[in-house]
Amino acid sequence: MAALEIAEPEKLDDAYTMLGTEEGSIRPMGGGTALMLMMKAQLFKPSKLVSLRKIEALTGFSLSVDASHIRIGAMTTFSELEQSPMIAQHLPVVTQTMKTLANVRVRNVATVGGNLAHGDPHLDLPPVWSALGASVRIVGVDGERVVPAEELFLGYYETVLAQGELIADISVPVRPGWRFFYAKVTTRAEHDWPALGLCVGVRAEGEVIADVSLVLSAAVDKPTRLKSAEAALRGVALSDAALAMAADAALAEVHIEGDGRGSAAYKQQLLRVHLGRAIKHVMQGSASA
Amino acid sequence: MSTSRTIQFTLNGRPATADIAANETIVDMLTNRFELRGARESCGQGLCGCCTVTVDGMAVSGCLSLAWFLDGKSVETVEALSKGGVLDPVQEAFIEAGAFQCGFCTPGFIMMVRQLLDAHPDPDEDEVRHYLTGNLCRCSAYPEIMDAVKLAAAKRKRASAA
Repeated sequence: MAALEIAEPEKLDDAYTMLGTEEGSIRPMGGGTALMLMMKAQLFKPSKLVSLRKIEALTGFSLSVDASHIRIGAMTTFSELEQSPMIAQHLPVVTQTMKTLANVRVRNVATVGGNLAHGDPHLDLPPVWSALGASVRIVGVDGERVVPAEELFLGYYETVLAQGELIADISVPVRPGWRFFYAKVTTRAEHDWPALGLCVGVRAEGEVIADVSLVLSAAVDKPTRLKSAEAALRGVALSDAALAMAADAALAEVHIEGDGRGSAAYKQQLLRVHLGRAIKHVMQGSASA
Repeated sequence: MSTSRTIQFTLNGRPATADIAANETIVDMLTNRFELRGARESCGQGLCGCCTVTVDGMAVSGCLSLAWFLDGKSVETVEALSKGGVLDPVQEAFIEAGAFQCGFCTPGFIMMVRQLLDAHPDPDEDEVRHYLTGNLCRCSAYPEIMDAVKLAAAKRKRASAA
């Protein structure tokens, strides 16, 4: 690893001011897992890292008083979410996703904000936050803005975050009546990077899909909402024919990318199969709940 | 702000000081400055668990963590586990179950099994797999490792009941 400097500001405005004004390849650092991998592989050689771990304003997560949403500080670790009964109660899909996300050591240090800012389309949580309708609060020298999670990503490792901007926290709506499921489809070990990630949310009324939220990842260059597939399913009774039509719509609206975990043709088939399975899974869960 | 500094921390229960570079990992520091070779780098990507140490009681990959951030923290490695020549119950269980061949991954497994049993004293198979999925044994002693976990849980229960 190349030599570098480390700063550990305690105040949020000190952190983004530093990031916005200094020259060289300066980068914010959350848990540092992804950055360390890139630095060790010599893919990225920052001159300076601004560690966010001493900034208290970025920590903690809580349910709003009216129980309508959960605010999650950017430096919240995956383990903190995984072990939280409040998250398990209100956002069970997040608890479910942790079951196959990397390993205990990674979850102990990886952070919600760093995971989003990294912009890797293979990560498990970004499609989940997107499907849930989370919004991301971004702070920086030019003030504050709020961006829907699904609009944070521009492509491979690219986000709308500008130099000198930081993710402060995310706000995740609690959606009564909805049931979400993250389908992580791996082609090697269970905890491997996904060949295809798909977060599915359904609000069911009996056998009818009253509303639906579908976000695809890993097979595309950024977490992508499957709008045509959603439109094909909204208001429709669950049937194999409806699911086949939704899969056709999904395949027509996105450009599936092949990689080491599967060719584009293979991933198209995975999407077809797992879209149907995931929706059946959440519909069955809704019926029995 | 600089590229190196002196950190003060607790290492296996004793106060420690080290002059470290900003790009130095925990494993590099333990190996090169403290002659502690229990945590070792194998995959270098946080996947295999050979470098597992705990920081303030929480397992981390020593190969992916910078020593810089240890200032003021407490670090424990596998070398801390035997007390006065008496092995930790998890270490005993690994020996009795023969849960290794070459032993390279064993310190990491032992550190993770301790984490597992702290959180789940009587773990079911799913819990064991959930905790140990990030530890790889290239000799593939997995069946014996599963036996060792059960044995270690029983030993710890006996020890706490006594």
